[in-house]
Amino acid sequence: MIVFGALLLLLAIFGAPLFALIAASALYSYSREDIDLSALAIEFFSIAEMPVLLAIPLFTFAGYLLSASKAPSRLVRLTDALLGWMPGGLAIVSLAACAFFTAFTGASGVTIIALGAILYPALKQSGYEPKFNLGLVTSAGSLGLLFAPSLPLILYGIVAGISIDTLFRAGVLPGMLMLAMLAGWCLWVNRDQKQTLKRFSWKTVGSALWESKWELPLPIVVLGGIYSGYFAVSEAAAVTALYALIVEVIVLREISFKQLPDLMRESMLLVGGILVILGMSLASTNIMIDTGVPQKLLGWVSGFVDTQTSFLILLLLFLLVLGAILDIFSALVLVVPLILPVAAQYNIDPVHLGMVFLSAMQLGYLTPPVGLNLFIASYRFERPITEVYSATFPFLLILLLSVIVITFWPQLSMALV
Amino acid sequence: MKQLARWGKAAEDAVLVLLLGAMIVLACSQIVLRNFFDAGLIWGDEALRLMVLWLALAGAVAASRADKHIAIDVMSRFLPPWGRRLTRVATNLFTAVVCGCVAWFAADFVLQAREYEDELLGGLPAWWFQIIMPIAFALMSWRYLVFVILDIAGRRSESERSVSDA
Repeated sequence: MIVFGALLLLLAIFGAPLFALIAASALYSYSREDIDLSALAIEFFSIAEMPVLLAIPLFTFAGYLLSASKAPSRLVRLTDALLGWMPGGLAIVSLAACAFFTAFTGASGVTIIALGAILYPALKQSGYEPKFNLGLVTSAGSLGLLFAPSLPLILYGIVAGISIDTLFRAGVLPGMLMLAMLAGWCLWVNRDQKQTLKRFSWKTVGSALWESKWELPLPIVVLGGIYSGYFAVSEAAAVTALYALIVEVIVLREISFKQLPDLMRESMLLVGGILVILGMSLASTNIMIDTGVPQKLLGWVSGFVDTQTSFLILLLLFLLVLGAILDIFSALVLVVPLILPVAAQYNIDPVHLGMVFLSAMQLGYLTPPVGLNLFIASYRFERPITEVYSATFPFLLILLLSVIVITFWPQLSMALV
Repeated sequence: MKQLARWGKAAEDAVLVLLLGAMIVLACSQIVLRNFFDAGLIWGDEALRLMVLWLALAGAVAASRADKHIAIDVMSRFLPPWGRRLTRVATNLFTAVVCGCVAWFAADFVLQAREYEDELLGGLPAWWFQIIMPIAFALMSWRYLVFVILDIAGRRSESERSVSDA
């Protein structure tokens, strides 16, 4: 058992696909418990028994469509027209635009590629320091994870068995807190900087609004539909996909029919990668629950933790380490089912746990050694990875502070639920 | 071999495009039917869920071809090229074997479902829809086996699999 575990760990750090590692451990546990190994396929097939999963391919595809069109630059122009007049305006524009875009495209690093390419040179032009820009764009690329309809939020709802509308409401205030703290930091850092401030003009706002007229209904329909309860999440996803397809391909013609198969393929690579891990972990989680792993975990934790506060401290430390080595989707499907029952023993609401989990995992995008955003930024802006590390570090600290607040202030997550 | 690869990719693309397209159309027509005509296709929701499974597996097969499955991979970049090749052969061989096992046991599951005459979508044999599982995992196993062979033969250049590829 220990030898087998060590072997899997070794294969993992040398890059074996996670789904194969999880499948191997599930098959191994089944054979130890004398369960028919075809049970793995039965568990995997339950992917076809979860209606909400429909939202994942549809939202992902819509996100890829929007990023490949000129919607990102229209979004930046509109936010700039609305917020660019404030001191530190463009920095705040970047944060807001990135958060909005990530919520819609689902935290897969596309934000840095789609928006960073526009924001990075624009920030430089407005007189911000290169190092600040690099850190800002890199860390803003994962903001917005807590806002509807982000994929990790949906996936947490599926895994934890909580209504997704509830999570969408819960994420609003913690997400705002992260945004506000980063915005405050940007203003503070640039308090002495001379920037060319723009004057607010209704005319620019008007023309930016007019330019985005085709995309504007999207967030209104989707968010309005979900929050009012008119649409189920998967229905909202279907509407988003169809609408984005019609607008970008037929109305605006920014994406040609020829590009579509490649875009579909690219987006479904990600979906396949996530869902095959989900399918395998359904099998491995079930066998772990059957063999009492959560109880053992609880027994072990309660050995040295007895209050809710000390449990939250331990949880936070664990999640920060987890986020540094595992991507958010795998961490969600693998770890959430195991810690949910443990957290319940310490009277932590699953909704609050979700906010803590997702916000802590968001830091994982920015922590070495495997922080995805660090690599994408280094690759995209052609800066050495060490420079990206140090540029992002202050932002990482601010975000860490916000995660601590979210962890120890449950009312923030529960106020709108 | 090259010809085979081209056909394979075209087939994957066709499956992905058809499934995703059908999924969008079906999901949207369900909404229209429900809201405006107070009706809906009885098999619609179940078909959509099956499409998610098919799409997931087709996407996973495509991800195997591109070698883009989610992995941790923290050590590779510290290794010299020959070390990277060695660990790649080991991890890919492992993946090929695991996928092979999953395909085998999934085939077993499909055969059982056929024997018990399980039904889906109001009367159609369930194994018609479940058969995608053994097929997809067999294809993935084959894909990783090809990687192993190419690596041993030294036919796979570094540029085909760069670590920091975004």
